[in-house]
Amino acid sequence: MEPVTLAIPSKGRLKEQVDACFAKAGVALKQIAGARGYRATVEGHPGIDVMLLSSSEIASSLAGGDVHLGITGEDLIREAAPELEGRVALLKPLGFGYADVVVAVPRSWVDVSTMADLDDICAAYAHKHRKRLRIATKYTQLTRAFFAHAGISDYRIVPSAGATEGAPTAGTAEAIVDITTTGATLKANGLKILDDGVILKSQATLAMSLAAEWDTDMRAAAAALVGRFGATLPS
Amino acid sequence: MPAFPTYGPEEIGALNKVAGAVLGVFDKRGYTRLEPAILQPAQIFVDRSGEEIRRRTFELTDPSGRELCLRPDLTIPTCKWQVESGGAYPARLCYHGLAFRHAPGAGEFYQAGAELLGLADRAAGDVEMMSLTAEALRAAGLTEFDMIVGDLGLFATLVDALDVPAQWRGRLKRNFWRSGYFEALLARMVAGGTNEAQRAVDALHGLKLMDLKPAIEALIDKEGDAPLGGRTREEIVERLTIQASDGAAPRLDADVAEMITAFLKVSGPGEAALEDIRTLTKPVAAKMVKPLAAMAERLRALKGLGIPPERIRFVAHFGRNLEYYTGFVFEFWARAGEVAGGGRYDTLLESLGAPRGTTAIGCAIRTERLVKARGL
Repeated sequence: MEPVTLAIPSKGRLKEQVDACFAKAGVALKQIAGARGYRATVEGHPGIDVMLLSSSEIASSLAGGDVHLGITGEDLIREAAPELEGRVALLKPLGFGYADVVVAVPRSWVDVSTMADLDDICAAYAHKHRKRLRIATKYTQLTRAFFAHAGISDYRIVPSAGATEGAPTAGTAEAIVDITTTGATLKANGLKILDDGVILKSQATLAMSLAAEWDTDMRAAAAALVGRFGATLPS
Repeated sequence: MPAFPTYGPEEIGALNKVAGAVLGVFDKRGYTRLEPAILQPAQIFVDRSGEEIRRRTFELTDPSGRELCLRPDLTIPTCKWQVESGGAYPARLCYHGLAFRHAPGAGEFYQAGAELLGLADRAAGDVEMMSLTAEALRAAGLTEFDMIVGDLGLFATLVDALDVPAQWRGRLKRNFWRSGYFEALLARMVAGGTNEAQRAVDALHGLKLMDLKPAIEALIDKEGDAPLGGRTREEIVERLTIQASDGAAPRLDADVAEMITAFLKVSGPGEAALEDIRTLTKPVAAKMVKPLAAMAERLRALKGLGIPPERIRFVAHFGRNLEYYTGFVFEFWARAGEVAGGGRYDTLLESLGAPRGTTAIGCAIRTERLVKARGL
């Protein structure tokens, strides 16, 4: 049987939380010697091959079918696979790694508090400045879908690799879409979240790639593993 | 048709014949042919096209990091050429070539198009473009077609004439073609409702106009060193002033919302549809006279072009999802589907650097569809 690959975060806070989650579920990982800590096996589940990847790599691997199972943020999964159906199945939210993906604007915009206000501003800005209002984000897909749903089209996405919340102060964008847990970082950067600007309430999620190759044996091995976390595979 | 077809001699011959006929008409009517580059800087399209086009544009980065795209339409490069070449107006330009837009299983299509730029007499321009398109289709061998016409200007005039809070006029005009979203928006406006910004407006309520500006400035200052983004303080002051002038908790009158809803539902044979609108908008008849007369004039012109009135449908909510259209819009349909479309886009040239008020109307003919439609 081909092994079922499970991708889990390789570093940072999320890795610690995943380790704790495994411990709680009584699932023990064993490092593979010589793999420099990037491969592991699961005690009692010989058909599972664990790979340690970065969180965003896990999301794109799930979307592309390069791994069978994965644990990463729902925000990253939805960003990597905008139309989830047929590509990735979200099996179980794991109760940690909480983060909201939100639309935030400068606090000095005292006339703006809703997406409808932002729509007005975008149109006025395009008219007055002869260019589109810029939204800095690493969530290009989520932003596009949410803005389209809110009826906003007069804007432009500026891809941001990091420190997105500083973009309005730096002058590289007017507003942002980013994750926040407490809102403190946004506040410190003079930003506020729009009343109806929460795009997604995300948390770490156990997910299954529907794009990967599966057979009956592999499904059985995967079902046994995810069962330890209280999840079942979709039929 | 397969997703990525290779045209053989027969298909090439058929396409060339149709394109030749269309371009022949354009040439005869004084339209000069251009050949814009396929690879274009992305920014010019990103800043001007609607979301629908942008979402479907193939963007790429060249090795030096420049953002490029495969042209999603030929109108913008054609207009840009006119502005940059400093040519005289009115200008008559045309093209035939590939446009690239992502769609399930497809990505490119041929279109022939004509643009009439800077003709001050809009009514004459409307007629010229309709007649040019009809003649080109006929020359290419399509004798039977239906038309859909609309006018974004009619809705804009109606919204301006009705008792709508000033701050919401733009919102209604911008979103009228989004079915579903628009109805929800209208319902929200009728229901009223408060939010954070509304509280700012409430705080300003009752202030005299001369006291508004300092009061708004104080609200902004309260936020300390928060960034302004690319907006200016004046923009914020201006927008809040308008909102404050609408009074506390603005609402849209239910009757007004009803009239807007009824207007957008109007659809049917041209003359009858216009009569429906006349009846419907009686309370603001004086304001609607001019744009309704202009539409009636166009219908008369179409009759003169030998297009029977029963084949022309007026659809009030018809606006084409391209965003740069501003007024009259039209489509020609064969049994196989839409074969040509076009309309007025009076703000695009100015945004490209032409003198204020430079008019524009154009059409695009889907030559591959025309080949198929002729075969039926």
